[in-house]
Amino acid sequence: MARIRRVVVVGFDGLDPRIFERLLANGSLPAFARVRGAGGYSRVATTLPAQTPVAWSSFATGTNPGGHGIYDFIRRDPQSYLADFSLNRFEQKNMFLPPRAVNLRRGEAVWDVLSKAGIPSAVIRCPCTFPPDDVKGHMLAGMGVPDLRGGLGTPGFYTSDPGARRGESEHLIPIQLAGDTVKTRLIGPRHPKNRADLEQAMSLRIDRAGRRVLIRVDGTDGELAAELGGWTGWIKVKFKAGLLQSMSGMVRFLLVGLDPHLELYVSPVNFDPSAALLYPISAPAEYAKELAEEVGTFYTTGMVEDHGGLNNGRFGEGAYLAQCADVMAERERMLQHELSRLRDGFIFCLFDTPDRIQHMFWRFLERDHPARLAAPVEGFDDVIEQHYRTCDAILGRVLEALDDDTLVITLSDHGFTSFRRGVHLNGWLLKEGLLALKSGVAPGEEAGEYLRSVDWARTKAYAVGIGSVYLNLRGREGEGIVTPDEAPALSQRIEDGLTGLKDPITGEVAIRGVTARSAAYSGPFAAESPDLVVRFSEGYRASWTTAVGGVPADLFEDNVKRWSGDHIVDPALVPGILLMNRSFRSEGARLVDLAPTILAALGAPRGSAMEGEELLS
Amino acid sequence: MKILIIGLDCAAPEILLQDQRLTNIRRLMEAGCYGRLESVIPPITVPAWMCMSTSQDPGSLGVYGFRNRSDHSYAGLKIANAKSIQELAMWDQVAREGGRSVLIGVPPSYPPRKVNGICVGCFLTPDPVADEYTHPASVKAEIANLVGEYEVDVKGFRTDRKEWLRGEIFRMSKKLFQVVRHYLANADWQYFHFVDIGLDRVHHGFWSHHDPQHVLHDPNSPFRDVIRDYYLHLDEEIGRVLELLTDDTVVLVVSDHGAQRLDGGFCVNEWLVREGLLVLNQQPKTVTAFDKLDVNWAKTKVWSEGGYYARVFFNVKGREPEGVIDQADYESFRDEIKGRLEALPDDQGKPMGTLVFKPNEIYRNLRNVPPDLIAHFGALYWRSIGGVGYGRLHIQENDTGPDDCNHAQYGAFILAASNLPLQGEVSGARLLDVGPTLLELGGYDVPSSMQGRSLVAGATRQPPSTTSADGEAIIKERLAGLGYIS
Repeated sequence: MARIRRVVVVGFDGLDPRIFERLLANGSLPAFARVRGAGGYSRVATTLPAQTPVAWSSFATGTNPGGHGIYDFIRRDPQSYLADFSLNRFEQKNMFLPPRAVNLRRGEAVWDVLSKAGIPSAVIRCPCTFPPDDVKGHMLAGMGVPDLRGGLGTPGFYTSDPGARRGESEHLIPIQLAGDTVKTRLIGPRHPKNRADLEQAMSLRIDRAGRRVLIRVDGTDGELAAELGGWTGWIKVKFKAGLLQSMSGMVRFLLVGLDPHLELYVSPVNFDPSAALLYPISAPAEYAKELAEEVGTFYTTGMVEDHGGLNNGRFGEGAYLAQCADVMAERERMLQHELSRLRDGFIFCLFDTPDRIQHMFWRFLERDHPARLAAPVEGFDDVIEQHYRTCDAILGRVLEALDDDTLVITLSDHGFTSFRRGVHLNGWLLKEGLLALKSGVAPGEEAGEYLRSVDWARTKAYAVGIGSVYLNLRGREGEGIVTPDEAPALSQRIEDGLTGLKDPITGEVAIRGVTARSAAYSGPFAAESPDLVVRFSEGYRASWTTAVGGVPADLFEDNVKRWSGDHIVDPALVPGILLMNRSFRSEGARLVDLAPTILAALGAPRGSAMEGEELLS
Repeated sequence: MKILIIGLDCAAPEILLQDQRLTNIRRLMEAGCYGRLESVIPPITVPAWMCMSTSQDPGSLGVYGFRNRSDHSYAGLKIANAKSIQELAMWDQVAREGGRSVLIGVPPSYPPRKVNGICVGCFLTPDPVADEYTHPASVKAEIANLVGEYEVDVKGFRTDRKEWLRGEIFRMSKKLFQVVRHYLANADWQYFHFVDIGLDRVHHGFWSHHDPQHVLHDPNSPFRDVIRDYYLHLDEEIGRVLELLTDDTVVLVVSDHGAQRLDGGFCVNEWLVREGLLVLNQQPKTVTAFDKLDVNWAKTKVWSEGGYYARVFFNVKGREPEGVIDQADYESFRDEIKGRLEALPDDQGKPMGTLVFKPNEIYRNLRNVPPDLIAHFGALYWRSIGGVGYGRLHIQENDTGPDDCNHAQYGAFILAASNLPLQGEVSGARLLDVGPTLLELGGYDVPSSMQGRSLVAGATRQPPSTTSADGEAIIKERLAGLGYIS
């Protein structure tokens, strides 16, 4: 067998073994079948918790989360209890320097080891690569890249319907028609000093005969035509952030309605990959621009697909799928570009879209899903299966171009399951007397989010994030009351109390178990982990409000959102899939085994902190 | 508040405040205020930096340029040094109030000033290897450990060897910044002031390559971008300086004057000879420097010295040894000479636009030996040539070596501080306003000897405090759009 000169890893986020194996067996996935035939297939164990940034970070570094420090999408500052995004943060050393992005995924990634060994890599859209690492080769950051507002994607919705109400995480911009024209504005980032919205004037002209709207944005040339129901191309926009600075972004539009109301959706303002950016999204910094010149401009935000627009009902499933198709196509163009030019070394490319599709369309697999019952919709039952076929087609085109000396690895970071019922972890802690609210404050809406109303002097444990529970530890938390002596017993009590928790409505066990940090994490960043990680049964997950530190009175609620599938359950229930075109050990494969496998295949030394074992026979 | 002055000798506002690529500079401009800064007359490194530091005009300091008459004899000019200017400067006021200062390369600071803190000698240091150019003396060894041979200037910067010149200037500047960073991080200071002289040298050495309007400009020159590259280098170094600061610092980026092209040199003494005002015993057959001329002092009324501008001296009875002009006629004579200088034509016969100043009209005090007139030929688009024997009045070569630019009357400044009430572009700021402004922002008293006015004049504001009230709103925005949680 030829010596391996190149390793190509094609990630398909969230592909589930059960769906995959069924489709593989019935011949629906010929490319995957070809890879299996050349080598093999197995399930691959995911991380605790089974969250995308955690899993891909463990894939990249070959360590448990204690080796890279990413435990949940949401982390909290123990001193202030304030929640924040886990993947990165912004710091500003003093008033004379710009704010800088800091990647909070640490540890040594497989591409760091390869770079040291002089072996080039092309890493496209791996989560937790913002700001991107200095790598020998090229890197385009993935999940974690903000939009121009610094969040993960705040779209806009223009409507002439006076009854429209603002949805979650969006700008709602009421518009008035003057004949067939509208004068309005595009909302950009916040001014760095006074926090006011930076805007660009925008005008809309309705072409009723053509069933479209013509959009002009100040400071840009030409007019963008938005056809009813179709996503437009990109328009690049500059927002003046004061006398001297401007920030470059880009947006695209979707004309959702003309009659009786004009309804126009605009994507979050993405960083323009061709512009000089305040925060580089690629390494080298010019790579994003070169890539855009090669394959056309592309979405740069870390969470690309506009699930918010769909969740808020701003547009329908069809439009969402059209966008997903665009994203898959542009991602494939990036991968093909690197395949054609990097002949020796390591290529990684992640297709996130399968994960988003399954989140939004899982309700079509279950007639009685609460989301389905809340908002009945027909006609999308085979979307998920179709998407697996789309992934197969992409893989097929990758295989066409390859030679004998390339090791192909294709995998997912976790599987998928239903999200029907949310569990209010703080509601449980409240009921158990382990969490207290400030006197006079009622749980639920009054208590608010972000642990705002928690009475820390009477609270022993709290939950924030998607399954993480923390002890209010003295000496670590800002107003901790639990002593280190009390902690193990308290931890055990919570573990015992939550394990086997029954859902009174369904009679099912919602929580299969709880893992204490000492049993799960080791390494330089183990001390940053949550104290307890909850392992939910299929169908269950930490509730929406738990993720942002809400404290409801109840323990359970239906999930009626279109985001109806998820995977942040007991990791044993949602392994991923793993295939290689050379035979490999298929017993007990784990995500942390991939990094050593890749390094060994390319003749590079093993990373010193890596925990896994090579998989190739 | 601490005070940091980043001195960029000769920085031109048209580049410093307008080149979009200078990101650290532009961030400072955004954070604070900026504008052109009117320099003194004459706009020359010595005494301009000390005029700024003391907030006193050249006449009050008794130093009218790099070289000055020390008495009314015909002995020629003496070079100024640190001892020539001992007036109360910003760092002295800081010391009065218990603060320590670090001065690096602030002209003139050779011999090194005995400040309360550290003083590293400027470009006037004859030989940094041999000379004691630091105070305290121990600093010299520390600097040698950091950068090896420290460099205070590029000797022979008026040269045609442009490749060599570029290398020398950049290397010198990098060493300077290395020393600056070391003391910023490790010394105890409340006032820190350094001057990069490389920028002045790079302007003089490369302006014709940079400025399309320069008579000698070659658009295909390989040195076209040297000046712009140097500003980029400075911007990058400034970025590294900013990394070492804390919020309680007043930051000033400033130049002592600007830069502009030279259209040529005006042979002022040649002209004076032709006008019969300067009488020589022997006409030189070749180009001869003024101090080598055989002057008939008993018949001479006026003489001048070369340089970026002209100092014009009168031979006055009772003042000079062989004075000719009656004291009673002094003023009317001076007016006449002023008028004739102002009327001078350029090499095309058009009015040169020369500016002529009477020291007693532009300075509050006159100490030591002021010139009788100061002339900016062609508003400094022409330099002054002291030698005689050119056979004509307008020349392209410089008598001291190739030099592409003159100084301009306006330098630039950028000022940022958390208690600064000014924002955006400020007009009308003058070099002498810097001292009172910085001392006020720094929280110091302003000595009465300072002539300028504070640009903030009692309006300093409280630095903004970060409220945690909007903490939750900020986090909500950070997490906006994360599908897993909403």
